[in-house]
Amino acid sequence: MADYAKFLPQGVPDWQMPYWDSLRAHDVRVQKCDSCGAFRYVPQEICPRCHSSMATWSPISGEGHVYTFTVVRRAPTAAYQADAPYAIIHVSMHEGFRMIGSVHGIDPDAVAIGMPVRVAYDDVTPEWTILQFEPTS
Amino acid sequence: MAQLREAAIAGVYQTKQGDLSDRTQPDVWWECARGACDDAGLALGDMDGLIGPGPNGTGIRGGLPAAGLGFDLLGKPMRFHADASIGAAKSAAGLNLAAYAVAHRLAEAVVIDTAVAGPAEGYESADRDAAIAAMAMLSGPYEYVYGTTRVSDYAVLAMRHAHEFGTTPEQLAEIAVAQRHGATLHPLSVNGHRGEITIDDVLASRMVADPLHLLDCCAINQGGGAIVVTSAENVRAAGRHKAVGLLGYGEGHGHIDPNAEPSLAEWPAAAIAAKTAFELAGLSPDDIDVAGIGDHFTVNVLFGLESAGFCKVGEGGSFVEDGALRIGGRLPTNTAGGFLSFSHAGMCGLFTLIELVEQLRGAAGDRQVDDARYGYLNGTGGAMQNNFSAILGEV
Repeated sequence: MADYAKFLPQGVPDWQMPYWDSLRAHDVRVQKCDSCGAFRYVPQEICPRCHSSMATWSPISGEGHVYTFTVVRRAPTAAYQADAPYAIIHVSMHEGFRMIGSVHGIDPDAVAIGMPVRVAYDDVTPEWTILQFEPTS
Repeated sequence: MAQLREAAIAGVYQTKQGDLSDRTQPDVWWECARGACDDAGLALGDMDGLIGPGPNGTGIRGGLPAAGLGFDLLGKPMRFHADASIGAAKSAAGLNLAAYAVAHRLAEAVVIDTAVAGPAEGYESADRDAAIAAMAMLSGPYEYVYGTTRVSDYAVLAMRHAHEFGTTPEQLAEIAVAQRHGATLHPLSVNGHRGEITIDDVLASRMVADPLHLLDCCAINQGGGAIVVTSAENVRAAGRHKAVGLLGYGEGHGHIDPNAEPSLAEWPAAAIAAKTAFELAGLSPDDIDVAGIGDHFTVNVLFGLESAGFCKVGEGGSFVEDGALRIGGRLPTNTAGGFLSFSHAGMCGLFTLIELVEQLRGAAGDRQVDDARYGYLNGTGGAMQNNFSAILGEV
């Protein structure tokens, strides 16, 4: 997959790799605070609710609904422009935090706020899988 | 400690905004520094303080900009340097640091200068493709892998605002229309020469990231500008300009990753910045005659108005739709055109500040707002990540 020309994650610190490893395993894990039980995403060193530094990479339902979105028609690079128009969605997960991802299985112009979606996976290279969503049917 | 003294903006200067790719950053930087000193009635050699970048802002020179200005260039030691970390708004936020230096007698003449010029290189390029690609990587890997852009970062906020409050594309477009008019009255603006636009023109411009059209987006251009800050006493003694300075100032820093914000339709950190500034000034939004609100995209202006309390959260669209932001309206805003139509070069908040200074001096010519006594300045860095608010007036 040396021909993957879009952006791959750069400079991800080791302690955040359990998230990316979980995507590659198609079994997404998110930090859950050992002290207060709050999920947090993107990975953070301490819990923004109780400030504990202890957390466990935990499974989630993978389900939520579209909180907001856009349809990108002018992409950052030629590799992305080849896929335009494409939707980027912010998803309110059932566990009470938001995630950002791409979406497949739906015309980007049909994406709407409130639409139920679930986690899917986009294996972009052998090393990297990125978070994707699909409509819950 | 010695007795504090009032600081004021003594001089301002701007280049023609546009494509300066045939010039160098230091060349433009010095033009702006000289221009601001000339406007103040100061000599270049009076400069003894610096906020933000100097000329040749790369390598160790960029990392130690005041040192590089010392014996190397001005033939004397510099007495003060500081910087504000508020993204594109940092130069205007630097006014607070300059005022601090002058008030505490750490320096006599503090320059804030932004200069973007030279051949295509990253997000300071005049080349649109290069600039957009470089800016996309300003988000973290939890966003940019999906092909986000600075436009899409704001588009998701505009989409949520529209969903919660019914904000319409026409209301956003009115912001671009009002600001373009100001730009047509400013000979240095990047887009004034393109002439007036209508709401239909904005809606007919191509969609970049829903719901933001091309004309909802700021310019991509180069240019320079500078101000010099000294004591209000010096400004009055020079007798050239009204002594315009800071009456109040506040900051609010909200998030790096937007996932962390409780809502993407309202901005507590921006509201804290505004509340602090108004409290320190002893003024309220009703007192403000003219505003300058960071406008990378039209929707930023709504966020700025709502966060500062010019209207309630969610009512920004109806606030602007009857022409409130136009010269002659209830709250003339970004009267030179803002980032949309005046300039989005470098630390472009400085241009917003300079327009307010000209308004409060009564020197804005055809753009002059009647009886402009108090100005509100707001800047944001990133996608509503850092914010500052300042109240300006005669000190």
